[in-house]
Amino acid sequence: MTDAASKTGAVSARAEKLKARLKGRYAREARFKWFGRGAIAIALAFLAILLTSIVLQGYTAFYTHSLTLPVYMDPARIDQAYPQGTNFEQMVAEQQLVRMGVADDENGSKATAMRNLLSSELKFIAADRIRAQPALIGQTIPLTTPLSDDAEMYLKGKITRETPENLRRVSDQQMQWLDSLKSQGVIRAHFNSALFTKGDSTQPELAGLLGAVIGSALMLTVTALIAIPVGVFAAVWLEEYAPRNRLTAIIEVNINNLAAVPSIVYGLLGVALFINFLHLPRASPLVGGLVLALMALPTIIIATRSSLKAVPPSIRDAALAMGASRTQTVFGHVLPLAMPGVMTGSIISMAHALGETAPLLLIGMISFVPGISAAIDAPGGALPSLIYIWENASERAFHERTAAAILVLLAFMIVMNAAAILLRRRFERRW
Amino acid sequence: MNTKLIRTPIAYGPEGQPTGAGAEHSRSVAPTVGDSARAGLGPIKISAKNIKVFYGEKQALHGVSLDIPDKAVTALIGPSGCGKSTFLRTLNRMNDTVPGARVEGRIEMDGEDINDKKVDPVLLRAQVGMVFQKPNPFPKSIFENVAYGPKIHGLASSKSELEDIVQSALKRAGLWDEVADRLHAPGTGLSGGQQQRLVIARAIAVEPEVILMDEPCSALDPIATAKIEELIDELRERYCIVIVTHSMAQAARVSQRTAFFHMGNIVETGDTEDIFTNPRERRTLDYITGRFG
Ligand SMILES: Nc1ncnc2c1ncn2[C@@H]1O[C@H](COP(=O)(O)OP(=O)(O)O)[C@@H](O)[C@H]1O
Ligand SMILES: [Mg+2]
Repeated sequence: MTDAASKTGAVSARAEKLKARLKGRYAREARFKWFGRGAIAIALAFLAILLTSIVLQGYTAFYTHSLTLPVYMDPARIDQAYPQGTNFEQMVAEQQLVRMGVADDENGSKATAMRNLLSSELKFIAADRIRAQPALIGQTIPLTTPLSDDAEMYLKGKITRETPENLRRVSDQQMQWLDSLKSQGVIRAHFNSALFTKGDSTQPELAGLLGAVIGSALMLTVTALIAIPVGVFAAVWLEEYAPRNRLTAIIEVNINNLAAVPSIVYGLLGVALFINFLHLPRASPLVGGLVLALMALPTIIIATRSSLKAVPPSIRDAALAMGASRTQTVFGHVLPLAMPGVMTGSIISMAHALGETAPLLLIGMISFVPGISAAIDAPGGALPSLIYIWENASERAFHERTAAAILVLLAFMIVMNAAAILLRRRFERRW
Repeated sequence: MNTKLIRTPIAYGPEGQPTGAGAEHSRSVAPTVGDSARAGLGPIKISAKNIKVFYGEKQALHGVSLDIPDKAVTALIGPSGCGKSTFLRTLNRMNDTVPGARVEGRIEMDGEDINDKKVDPVLLRAQVGMVFQKPNPFPKSIFENVAYGPKIHGLASSKSELEDIVQSALKRAGLWDEVADRLHAPGTGLSGGQQQRLVIARAIAVEPEVILMDEPCSALDPIATAKIEELIDELRERYCIVIVTHSMAQAARVSQRTAFFHMGNIVETGDTEDIFTNPRERRTLDYITGRFG
C-alpha cells in the first residue's frame, strides 16, 4: 500500500521534473526564434537605412532643368565660318540682362553672373543650330539649354538662402533671377536623359553614366568569358580527376587563400602582369576584365567544387557502374546536377566583380575618360570607378550623381542576382 | 513464381539449432531441396582467388576465395562491416573508383583475369551490372534511364531499336505495365520499389552477363521486396546474380549458393540449403540464428 503510494509519488515527481524541463526547452526555442527575428530585423534596418540615404541623395539626379530663351543670333558676334568660336553664353547672358532691364557695371560682372547660370553646353547647342542652318543668323529664335550645375543646385533646393551669401556659389541676385525666370515659366523640369545617354564630362550637368555602363559591361563580359570556363574546369579537374596528393593539397589550400586576398593586391598583380609585362592598354576594359577574372576565379572554383561535392555519390556510382567513363560520368551526370550551384556561384562572383573598385583604380581607371568608348582595348570607364571619381569631384552636383550611379550599380546587381535565381530555377526544373 | 519463394524459412529451435529435416545431417548427406536447386546451376562464371582489399592502411578483405556459378543467385551474408560490399565491388572493379583502395588477388570471369591491364573497367562494367542499396535512378526520364547504357555502349543503331531495347528491359524488370504510359516522366518520381526495378531494367538493358546487387531491398517495404525477389528469381535463368543481403530469410528465399562473410573473411560457402540447415561452422550457425549480427 505505502509502496504503491510512494511509487505514484515518484512518478508524479518525475512528470513534474519532465514538465519543468519541457518548459525550459520551449523557452529556449522561443528565445532563439526571437534572436533570429532580431538579427533579420537589424539586417533589414541597415539595408533600409542604406537604401533610403542613397535614394534621398540620388533621386534628384534623375531629373534636371532646362531653360528656354529667345536668342537673337547677332551677326556682329557670330562668325558663320566658325560658329563654335562664338561666346554664345556671354551673348545670351547680355541679351537676358537687357530683357530684364538690368544695367551692367563697367566690369560686366552682372553678365558674368547671368552667364554662370547657363551651362557651357549652350555654346554647342547654338553652334550646332547655326551650322545646320546658317540662315538663322540675324534672327531671333527660341533656344533651350541646360542650366549650370550651380543654378541646378539652387533649383533643387540644395543651395538655400540660409547659407551666408559669401559661403555659397549662387548669389542673392542670381537666386532672384532664377526665381523670376521660373515664375515666367521658361524653366522646365524634366527627366535627366543625359545621365543615361552621355559619357563622363567635367560639367556635372552634362555628365552621364553610359560610358561607364558600357565599360562595366565589356569588362564583365571579359571576366565571365574567362573566369567561368576556367574556374569550372579547374574545379572539375580538382574534384573529379586530380589525384589526392601533396601537390593537389597545396593547390587546394592556395585557392582557398586566394579567395581571401584583398582585391587591391589583384590590382597590383594586374598592373605588373598585364600592363607592365604584357603591355596591354592601361585602363582598358580588357585589362580590367582580366584582373577581375583573376579575382573571381577562386570564388568560382570554390563554389563549383562544393556543388560538385553536393551531388549524391549514388549518381556517380550509378553512371560508373553502367560502364560510363569518368568523363561521361562527370559531364553527363555530375556537372549538370551541380549546375544550379555553379550558376549561382558564378553570377554572385560576377556581381562582386562588378562592384569591385580598388583594382580598377590601380590599373588606371581613375583617370577622366570623356565621352563613350565601346572599345575593349581603349581606356574606358567603369561604374564603381566612376562613382569614386564623381564622389571626389569638387562640384556639388556630382554628388547627387554619385548616388544615382550607385543606384544604377545596385540595379545592375539586382538584375544579375535575379538572373542567378531564375537560372537556378530553370536548371533545377530540368531534373 | 518459383516455389522457393513461398517456402517458409527454416525454423530454429530455442538453442538456435536448426530443427526439422536435415538439422543434424552431416555435409555428405545432401538435403533434398538443395539437390533440386543445385540441378539448375550453371558452370562457374566467376572465380575469385585470395582477394585482399585495402582502403589505405585498413585491410577490409583478408584473402577471400569464392566460386560463383552462372544462372544462379549467390547470396553474400554476414554482419555489417564484414566486407560484403567490398567484395561485390571488386567484381566490377568499382573499387577502382574509390581513392586509396587497393585490390590484390585474382578474379577470373569466364577464365579471364578481370584485373588484367588489358581489361578496360568501362567495358567490364557493361558486362557486370550493378544495383545499389539505395535506388539511384538518374534524375532523368524513365526512358532516358533505361536508354542510357545502350546509348553509351552504342548498342542501338536506330531510335526504334533503342525503343525496343528499353521496352524489353522494362518488361523483363516487370515494370513495363506500370510505366508504359509515362516513359517520359522523371524516374525519380517513381516509388522506391519501382525505382529499384527501373535500376534493374537500366542494368539489364545493356545485356550484362552478371548482375551484382548490394542489399537491393533494404530500403523497400515488404511488398516491393517481394516483387524484387520474384524478379531476381526470374532473372536467375539468364544471368549470374550475386546479391548482398542482411536478411537471412531473403538469402534463403532467393539464393542457391550462400557465402558467409565475417571480419573480412569467408567463413563458409555452400548451397543455401546446407548453410541454413546444416552449417559446418559455429560462427555461421550463431549468425543465422541471430546470436550476433
Ligand atoms: N571507401 C572506404 N574507405 C575506407 N574504408 C571503407 C570504405 N568502404 C568500406 N570500408 C571499410 O571496409 C570494411 C568493409 O566494408 P563493407 O564492404 O562496406 O562492409 P559490408 O558491406 O559487409 O557492410 C568496413 O570496415 C568499412 O568501414
Ligand atoms: Mg554493404
